[in-house]
Amino acid sequence: MAEKSTRTARGTIICDNTTMALLKANDYVAEAIRREMDRRGVLLINLTSSPGSGKTTLLQETGKRLKDVLRIKVLVGDLETERDAERLREAGIQAWQIVTGGICHLEGQMIMQALENISLDDTDVLIIENVGNLVCPASFDLGEDYRVTLLASTEGDDKPKKYPRMFFTSDLMLISKSDLLPHLPFSVDRAIQDARDINPDIECMTVSALTGEGMDAWCRWLVDRFEQKRRSKKPEESYDVE
Amino acid sequence: MHEVSIVQSILRTLEREFDQEDIERIVQIDLEVGVFSNVEPILLQNAFEAVKTTTGKMKGVRLHIDVKPIKVYCSDCQRESLIEDYRFICHACQKPCTNIVQGAELLIKRVHFED
Repeated sequence: MAEKSTRTARGTIICDNTTMALLKANDYVAEAIRREMDRRGVLLINLTSSPGSGKTTLLQETGKRLKDVLRIKVLVGDLETERDAERLREAGIQAWQIVTGGICHLEGQMIMQALENISLDDTDVLIIENVGNLVCPASFDLGEDYRVTLLASTEGDDKPKKYPRMFFTSDLMLISKSDLLPHLPFSVDRAIQDARDINPDIECMTVSALTGEGMDAWCRWLVDRFEQKRRSKKPEESYDVE
Repeated sequence: MHEVSIVQSILRTLEREFDQEDIERIVQIDLEVGVFSNVEPILLQNAFEAVKTTTGKMKGVRLHIDVKPIKVYCSDCQRESLIEDYRFICHACQKPCTNIVQGAELLIKRVHFED
């Protein structure tokens, strides 16, 4: 941030775009988180969706399947209650709850504060389960390597076009609750087509944490991304031990 | 939905940038808000009024919001295209293009002070 001007402001001041960007503070914190995760070689995932799309259920099942493969920790954000963290812990996953107290999204600063209470020494993947909301969390970078958005079959296939920014900023769309697809007027092709109109590069998978359909592919995606991250980890500077 | 946080961010940004005396002489703030920024101008205006009332700051200050449509730049065609219905394609070559050059901003563009 530039020094405050000493002269008296008069008339109209045209502002420099970068210093007056209103989410600049968040982006700055997000970059700091990203650097720290890169240094440690920890894969950071920002998991977003509407409320009730199955984020926690997906993570419970993911944790069970990958318990001998990846050391996964979860930070879960909600407006109130500790319930999701408890559900994750019951599934054997180390989880911490961030209670936002009414704030509809997580911000970089909240992650930074939470990280002060978590040891990342024995961590391969840190998953941030964001507040259930397809609008506001889209605007806040949390320093993640990948943003994964769930679209439950029960929500309808029109959501990508209704919440374009979320799908624009996501790397992977998981169509969840796929076991219900035979009972619903949900076109997987239409949802994927609409998501790719917005974001041609978005990857798409269908999963059901209940029946296990698609879970192998999703778990493989996670393991592959982690291995890529570890390979690209910048070597630690070596110190001579005195 | 997070319009109140954005208004608070406007106040914080201005307080960092200008002295208190200058802040008291602000008459109008011009924002540039992209269609893709997820901010609803009417809600932002309402949030601004609410924050003015509750904090007692920025009394008499007008908030002007300039909404910017989404434009992308295709490096192959070296052309800008206006994006409609969130179909991110270059109108010249019809290929997918997500290189946004306008429409995602959320900026304080100008600050007007009384003379």
